[in-house]
Amino acid sequence: MVLLTMIFRVADGMPLAASMQEDGQSGRDLQQYQTQAKQLCRKLNEQSPSRCSLEAGEMTFHYAIEKGVCYLVLCEAGFPKKLSFAYLEDIETEFNEQYGKKVPKASRPYSFIEFDTYIQKTKKSYIDSRARRNLGNINTELQDVQRIMVANIEEVLQRGEALSALDSKASNLSSLSKKYRSDAKYLNTRSTYAKVAAGAFFFIALIVYVRFWWF
Amino acid sequence: MSAPGYTNLNSSVNYSLNGGATPSYQNGPGQPYPAMYPSSSYYSSTPQQAYPAAPGHKASVVNNDHMSNYYHNSNQPPPAGPGSGPSPYGPSSTSHPPTQPYGTTAPSSSGASQPPSAFQHPALYSMPTAYYGQHYPTSHPQSLPLSQPPQPNLVSVSSGTSMNAPLYPIVSYPSAPGSSQYGTLRSSQMSSGQPPVSTVMAPPSSGTEQQFVQGNGSSIPASVTPAHQSYADPLLSQTAAVNGQANAVPQHYEHSLHTPMTQHYGGPPPTSQGPDGDRPPSGTSTSVHSSPGHQQGLQYGGYIANSGVSSSAATARDHSSSSSDADEEDEEDEEAGADSSSSTTGSASPVPNSYESLEGGSYPDSSIPPPADPSKRAPPFGYSYPSMQPGYQQGSSSRPDSSPSHRGYNPPGYQAQYSQPFPSLSQLSAALGGLSGVPELEVDALRPVNLIQERNLLPPTHTASPEPNLSTELKKVNCSPDTFRCTLTSIPQTQALLNKARLPLGLLLHPFRDLTQLPVITSNTIVRCRSCRTYINPFVSFLDQRRWKCNLCYRVNDVPDEFMYNPVTRSYGEPHKRPEIQNSTVEFIASSDYMLRPPQPAAYLFVLDVSHNAIEAGYLNVFCQSLLENLDKLPGDTRTKIGFLTFDSTIHFYNLQEGLSQPQMLVVSDIDDVFIPTHDSLLVNLKESKELVKELLTALPRMFTNTRETHSALGPALQAAFKLMSPTGGRVSVFQTQLPTLGAGLLHSREDPNQRSSTKGVQHLGPATDFYKKLALDCSGQQIGVDLFLLSSQYSDLASLACVSKYSAGSIFYYPTFHHIHNPAQRQKFQKDLQRYLTRKIGFEAVMRIRCTKGLSIHTFHGNFFVRSTDLLSLANVNPDSGFAVQVSIEESLADTSLACFQAALLYTSSKGKRRIRVHTLCLPVVSQLSDVFAGADVEAITCLLANMAIDRSISSSLTDARDALVNAVVDSLSAYRANGSSLQPVGVIAPASLRLFPLYVLALLKQKALRTGTSTRLDDRVFAMCEFKSQPLKHMMRMVHPDLYRIDNLSEQGALHLNDCVIPQPPLLQLSAEKLTREGAFLMDCGSVMYLWVGKCCSEIFIRDVLGYPNYASIPPNMTEIPELETQSSQRTRAFLSWLQESRTFFPCFYVLKDDPSTKTSFFQHLVEDRTESAQSYYEFLLHIQQQICH
Repeated sequence: MVLLTMIFRVADGMPLAASMQEDGQSGRDLQQYQTQAKQLCRKLNEQSPSRCSLEAGEMTFHYAIEKGVCYLVLCEAGFPKKLSFAYLEDIETEFNEQYGKKVPKASRPYSFIEFDTYIQKTKKSYIDSRARRNLGNINTELQDVQRIMVANIEEVLQRGEALSALDSKASNLSSLSKKYRSDAKYLNTRSTYAKVAAGAFFFIALIVYVRFWWF
Repeated sequence: MSAPGYTNLNSSVNYSLNGGATPSYQNGPGQPYPAMYPSSSYYSSTPQQAYPAAPGHKASVVNNDHMSNYYHNSNQPPPAGPGSGPSPYGPSSTSHPPTQPYGTTAPSSSGASQPPSAFQHPALYSMPTAYYGQHYPTSHPQSLPLSQPPQPNLVSVSSGTSMNAPLYPIVSYPSAPGSSQYGTLRSSQMSSGQPPVSTVMAPPSSGTEQQFVQGNGSSIPASVTPAHQSYADPLLSQTAAVNGQANAVPQHYEHSLHTPMTQHYGGPPPTSQGPDGDRPPSGTSTSVHSSPGHQQGLQYGGYIANSGVSSSAATARDHSSSSSDADEEDEEDEEAGADSSSSTTGSASPVPNSYESLEGGSYPDSSIPPPADPSKRAPPFGYSYPSMQPGYQQGSSSRPDSSPSHRGYNPPGYQAQYSQPFPSLSQLSAALGGLSGVPELEVDALRPVNLIQERNLLPPTHTASPEPNLSTELKKVNCSPDTFRCTLTSIPQTQALLNKARLPLGLLLHPFRDLTQLPVITSNTIVRCRSCRTYINPFVSFLDQRRWKCNLCYRVNDVPDEFMYNPVTRSYGEPHKRPEIQNSTVEFIASSDYMLRPPQPAAYLFVLDVSHNAIEAGYLNVFCQSLLENLDKLPGDTRTKIGFLTFDSTIHFYNLQEGLSQPQMLVVSDIDDVFIPTHDSLLVNLKESKELVKELLTALPRMFTNTRETHSALGPALQAAFKLMSPTGGRVSVFQTQLPTLGAGLLHSREDPNQRSSTKGVQHLGPATDFYKKLALDCSGQQIGVDLFLLSSQYSDLASLACVSKYSAGSIFYYPTFHHIHNPAQRQKFQKDLQRYLTRKIGFEAVMRIRCTKGLSIHTFHGNFFVRSTDLLSLANVNPDSGFAVQVSIEESLADTSLACFQAALLYTSSKGKRRIRVHTLCLPVVSQLSDVFAGADVEAITCLLANMAIDRSISSSLTDARDALVNAVVDSLSAYRANGSSLQPVGVIAPASLRLFPLYVLALLKQKALRTGTSTRLDDRVFAMCEFKSQPLKHMMRMVHPDLYRIDNLSEQGALHLNDCVIPQPPLLQLSAEKLTREGAFLMDCGSVMYLWVGKCCSEIFIRDVLGYPNYASIPPNMTEIPELETQSSQRTRAFLSWLQESRTFFPCFYVLKDDPSTKTSFFQHLVEDRTESAQSYYEFLLHIQQQICH
């Protein structure tokens, strides 16, 4: 069952279109997944694999990146992977046809929200089990589905975090070393002053001594 | 403006003074003279005629000459003594006549006013040489003789005044066409402004003086030429010494200072002049006027010093009030880095605090004789004071709107009575003037009015709302009063002060108003304060190019890079020129951060009552017709969803799935546990299923024609609607025609018809069940707004039903006697209302937050919404016709700020699926004086806020309580005003002019359906009126409370408006009293949603024939609801006027033609609020009642 569909620009994570989730009837709380989807928007970039399935508990995200646009769908984990990607393919073709050229110019979020109507319709045909059988036949050529990478959503979302943690540790280290360096310098100068002071004291004492004892 | 030449003049003045060589400046004046006299006669004699002449701005150069010229002249007499004074004024005798129009008493008034002018100039000019008043003592005695034997010297003296007269206009002349009239005004005002000086002026002036000192401190180093410097100095000392009168002069300075400045800024000439043009409307006290202006000048001076600051910033700075001065200073402070002098001024802004101490004599000037002298002269001043009045009147009468009311003050009795009260007023005004903080308007607003003696208080035209006392620059960018209004346009500094004034503090908002022009901003980052999340607005201050300071919490924020680029001018590095900074009402396209979910589509669900009762009333036909007509105009895009649901004792759904051959009706009879029969085909895409929808709409009215079902299961139907809509959210429109009798939320009749006119409390104003409230809250949570149309001729417990709309941010419509055949007027209104309702703009899933300056807090909200958290209003739907009110309290003292700001931000999804944020920012001055608070009171806003509060009170407590509270509000505020002006005589009901309509409006409120007692009022009518009060915008509400009455059988072109080759007559407003009606006339009463045309028995047959299209009075049918389109001139005029009135509102008003017979009594005469009815007091009685209350 397709629960959530999102289309966004990969370059800056700007959402272009989405279908309203219907949590009212399913009674499920999709808010959490909604948030994850939003995070995904920001995390995915040009370097990400163009097709991937991300497991998130009892749900699975599938996405496909085509021409700088990412198509993301949230399905139940049991929903056939093949169908999900067929669905994504379907949406991609239609979206590309309707709005493909306007994508780079989109300046506000959900510029093509009207595409929702098409998404809803397609979704319906995929959810409908009778129609599904037919679609299954059509899309058998989608053989390489099996080769699509499967990853855990947590990994994807936290990959960045780990990197940033490393980064912060490194910078912490460098700042500490800087501090050490300055501290060392300070200590050095202090000891130099102490030596000079001691020398001066001795010298003065000497003069005083000479003055008082020789004259 | 020939700035260089001008500066030369100035310097020559200084020279001559210092050197004592008069001839040098005689040269200059010599030429301008001729030019000047004509102008003087203009202004002083016939202000109104001068009006058209004023637009000729070319004279500005000449004007400058005048000014300088004037100085020279006035300079001379003092050194030369009174005798020689006249001689330079050779022509002065010719200039004198113009002043005559001030009235017979003019001479004495001018006598009174002249001496100050005479000695202020010496003071002025001598100062440069000897800093503090060495000249002063000498010049002063000279001027004294002038004033004491008032009459003989008058000619010479008055010449001075007459010079004054032209002078003032000149100052403001170049600015705006309207300014000329103020010339007179001011000149007369100046004279009236002076007496106060005698007694009270000293303290305030020293306050001003202090400001000046500091202002100068900052400006002197800054000023460009030495000439300026000396210029500023005299000012300083002069204001110190001469007090109030002196203030008149700085005004010129202001300009003189301006002019040189204009050299430096390409832009400023218009702006620096502009202020004066804009300010005039207030036009009462010169002193006030001048000093802020002066400050401006200084500001500019200071500006140049901070050469890094660009010109636009300079214009943005030009404030007019002392309070804003402080702010200005603050700004400058920050911008200039650390300018110690300016910062001290900032701290000096609460002048009143410091002025007491200053008076003690720590200041050099206070020890100088002059301040003492005026007090000696007090008697003559006091004596001449009443005589000043005519001048004052004339001045004010030159303003088109106030003249009639002012004329009323003439009677001798008035003088007798006011001669004493007046000094205290003048004391006030003088104080205000001295504070340099209050524009003339406010002084006028403070004029005490004896309500019992003055009957004709109503202005003949609609007066604009009082303008906050801000600089013109701020005023220009400030939020429109139609959108955002505060009950007090001057915010009191502390809660204690607010309590003293006994006026309610609150805001009235109309946030989603239809706007013709709205800057829409698309940017990746919406710049907001990082701590309080305020949106950047015109009232923030830029510390430098990279940082801005929030005007609400004072946090310093960074300016993001993107903000440096101005998309309008396509230039970089001008953050202060971005549209956000140039407009106080803007709309942002929100980024995805502002979305919890993808923007919802526009979704409309219509829930229709189809029980027998409903079919009888016949609304279904009208509704289907209207919807069919407007189907394509429903706001939305290709995603728009629509659905229908009908109910009687069962609930009927309609399957409109695309591809069906015709709509399918699905009946759910289990109303105890409602379920949705099928999920995806009941709320369908309008575009795809349009044919089916049309088919359904044509079929619907016929489907239930023979129904015998009388029950109504509204509650279950609403539950079904909720379930249907909850996945998307959207708008549910419920049409109900009777009391719900089945299922959840059933109601019982609670009204006892015998109690309708009881004078005791009214029962059952609250809901009978919380079912509707709970449902509404559920709806609100799912972004569903429920609008209720109640078309019931019987009691339907609106008090309970209304909850469903109140808490889901819906609107309520009520048609009490709807019948499609028997009541054509209501039918027409329903039709027109539907048309507006269906096509008006709509915002979905909206939230609104109102923020205010630190120290203020918002505590009670009025309107239809749900308060989600302390200050977040959840509006499932927002429509352009609903208004909101909030109450504000002052938690911390605002002493350290001079401006208070309020920001309302409305985040919504448009019907096109765009998430937008509409931001309104209102900026108001903070004042520390009780008189300023009164002067800034906005009586209409106060009335509306009080009405809201009264309705809450009547529901939570009782109607009697609410009514008492309203009367007490008047009594309290008026006694507070009286206690403030302690020397007022305890005669009559004295109100400040700003509140003069307050008792009238409150009386009108008491006579409204919502709050009246003793008159038979159906409970539903009453509850509906209450709902209206809570949710209507201010303008509409005021029309309901105090309808406009016009006489329209003699419309003329005089004063008519000309709008695109259409002439719209503007008849004067009449008081709502039967004594204004005559049998010979025809009168139009505009009550907002209803208009009555009342035709008198002996109305001229020409009018009846030409406008109404009937041969005589007898043949007018009793239920006429339209004016025929006739080709006669009077018909055209009448229709033009009517349609002009109708355009000013969004919903079409009912129109009735009433004949003068007893049957009209209830509908028409109930609105004549000034008259006595069986159960309510007349206005006069009400005033007496108030007087009694005040005295106790």
